[in-house]
Amino acid sequence: MKKFHLIIAFLLTLIAVPAQAELTIRFTDGEIEPMPFAVPNFIDQGGAGELAQNIARVVASDLQGTGLFREVGAQAYISQVTSFDGPIAYADWQAINTQALITGAVQAGGGQIIVKFRVFDIFSGAQLGDGLQFAGTPATWRRMAHKVADAVYSRITGEGPYFDSRIVYVAESGPKNQRQKRLAVMDYDGANVQYLTDSASIVLAPRFSPSGDRILFTSYASGFPQIYLMDVGTLAIRSLGEQPGTMTFSPRFSPDGNRVAFALERDGNSDLYMLDLASGQLSQLTNSPSIETAPSFSPDGTQIVFESDRSGNQQIYIMSANGGEATRVSNGRGRYGTPVWSPRGDMIAFTKQNEGRFHIGVMMTNGGEERLLTSSFLDEGPTWAPNGRVIMFTRETAGAAGQAQLFSVDVTGRNLRQIVTEGPASDPAWSPLLP
Amino acid sequence: MDRGTKLSATLHAGLILWVALGDFFFASDVPPPIEAASVSLITDAELRGLEARAPLVENPDNQPKAAEPPPPVAPSDLPSDLPPDLPVAAEAQPLEAPVPTAPLAVDEQPILVPDSPVPPKPRPIDRVAAVPVDDKTDTPEIADTATPEVSDQAAPDAPIVPQDQPAASPQEAAPVIVTEAVDTQLDAPQLAPTASRRPQARPKTPAPDTPAPDAPTPDAPEVDAIAAALAEATQTPTDQTAGNGAAQDIPEGPPMSGSEVEGLRVAINKCWNVGQLSSEALRTVVTLRVQMSEAGKPTSVEMTNYEGGSEAAAQKAFEAGRRAVMRCAGANGYDLPAEKYGQWNVLNLIFDPEGMRLR
Repeated sequence: MKKFHLIIAFLLTLIAVPAQAELTIRFTDGEIEPMPFAVPNFIDQGGAGELAQNIARVVASDLQGTGLFREVGAQAYISQVTSFDGPIAYADWQAINTQALITGAVQAGGGQIIVKFRVFDIFSGAQLGDGLQFAGTPATWRRMAHKVADAVYSRITGEGPYFDSRIVYVAESGPKNQRQKRLAVMDYDGANVQYLTDSASIVLAPRFSPSGDRILFTSYASGFPQIYLMDVGTLAIRSLGEQPGTMTFSPRFSPDGNRVAFALERDGNSDLYMLDLASGQLSQLTNSPSIETAPSFSPDGTQIVFESDRSGNQQIYIMSANGGEATRVSNGRGRYGTPVWSPRGDMIAFTKQNEGRFHIGVMMTNGGEERLLTSSFLDEGPTWAPNGRVIMFTRETAGAAGQAQLFSVDVTGRNLRQIVTEGPASDPAWSPLLP
Repeated sequence: MDRGTKLSATLHAGLILWVALGDFFFASDVPPPIEAASVSLITDAELRGLEARAPLVENPDNQPKAAEPPPPVAPSDLPSDLPPDLPVAAEAQPLEAPVPTAPLAVDEQPILVPDSPVPPKPRPIDRVAAVPVDDKTDTPEIADTATPEVSDQAAPDAPIVPQDQPAASPQEAAPVIVTEAVDTQLDAPQLAPTASRRPQARPKTPAPDTPAPDAPTPDAPEVDAIAAALAEATQTPTDQTAGNGAAQDIPEGPPMSGSEVEGLRVAINKCWNVGQLSSEALRTVVTLRVQMSEAGKPTSVEMTNYEGGSEAAAQKAFEAGRRAVMRCAGANGYDLPAEKYGQWNVLNLIFDPEGMRLR
């Protein structure tokens, strides 16, 4: 009888406990639209003057330039931010559909400025992360603004930052048939241009070192294309891999910055070589009657992607960083060239020529999921942003009046934008994030 | 086959033959004459003239206003051979019969008759009861001690065990027959509901102060195990709802319909913006648990699970989902059926951007 009662009690427990089913809904297709954000002028906490406003404008420009954000103009503000530590009127910002609010303050004095900021998720009514502040000199206010924008960008998107970086490129001038070229560097957004060489000789294909303190480039200073190494701090230049009767070009640093892979042409045949910068030791990576060029290291330095016409057509191959057997990864129609390994290591950007059009595209490292991001008369020479999300390249227009310009595009293919430069520009190479 | 069946078969066969072949043999070769009606063609200007001269019906205030009429045509533009004016209706005619609407109860709901403090007035007729009913005589007596079946001794006074009596109305008796028609003419208060009963307001959330029953001791009687199980079973939902911050009497209602669930999904989905998410976050599936208030507004959002990405990527995916839930709730909350609050007071939302990758 006791057992019977216990069994009854157990069954009653099972039956009577309500299994409160919760409603479950699955979402698989969201919206893709710029997120509305607001950057009120930063608070001047003493001595900042126009810097407070200028920094806020650069932050807004950086975010808006990604195509992922849309700034809500100040004319739409219902409430004003008058204190950096004051409460946020979330309802007012919600009313104008602002989803992210960036507040900041600038303090200047003694040859130093301090910039601090906070990010708020308006509809969640919460601050995103902790507030941060940066210190620097008034001359570096744009870099500080880029750093603020980098922090905001990373907090909202989860992507790595890239605003506080620079671009080395070839600045062009003169008529198309007598073009003068010199090396120049600028902020990623085209500001703060500085020329590194004069226009005495033609320069091509500059590449930043992984630490950003050196630049490899190809110059015709000797009458033949030859690769050179420049120290960015002193602008000192020295030649690399100089071999009598040869031409060297298309150099690229290894991820550790200690080696340089490049193409060397001898007797009409081009192969890939590796140069150890410390010892000067040169090793040959490929030995083929075909043309191999444009090497680019994988982020871990174990592999190299390059272009070759060994199949009779210009295609992309991957091999070990020590040379050896190469595997073809491009399989589509047309010709593939100038491959560049993504900083994330998951994709390869390339130039594709097919049916009279040039494209910038990306593919997985196994050649799959090829996507063409651009199409024009001449697009070429992609370079990755430090976070692997944005690609910059050269676009040249047709005709006698055509000229080269720098463009950037999101890896999704959206947000194609021209980088405004003083004149024609080509061969961009993105630096790593500045320290 | 009997005679009737034969006759029926013959007649049916004849009918079928007549239907099938009658038209062939008896159809007339002359086609039926076509009735023609004489009509007159009018131009577009004439038509506008007719419209302009047609009587206008006043638009009552409660009727939707018609579109703006075309500008009137000057009398000089009208053709001279127009028909005479149509008669003008004396009064504005409603386009449709108004739809009867039941009055909406604001606070007080119509109540049923038994709950009325004013009882129905009995019929003012002298009742003639035969013999008053004595309750005690009808109540069986149960003695604690058995008594002999036949005894000349008076039975000891036994306690009367009260028992529930059926709630039957006392039988009425009257010397005359009173019809319902006469009965309704009496001045009894009108207690019938004047409107259909509406769902009553949801009761306020009581404080979860229900004490937990004492755990049965090991030496408790066996029957206590059942009582404890029942107590635990009835206690559990109270604790759950209290822990969830929801009302104790959450109306479960019928299950959410597909359209209701889809409506909620669409409402949230339109605010789910994944354009800012990193590639890794776009590969991350996050599950959000959302507590909802009875007004349809989210009161708390937490991430209960994620897969496919790092914790940092999951955090960004969670923030995008939370932003969607909070943003599209708006000031008035989501449009959800209140009577089914128990079905949606807690939502599990799975944000899986599989369709958004590499777009």
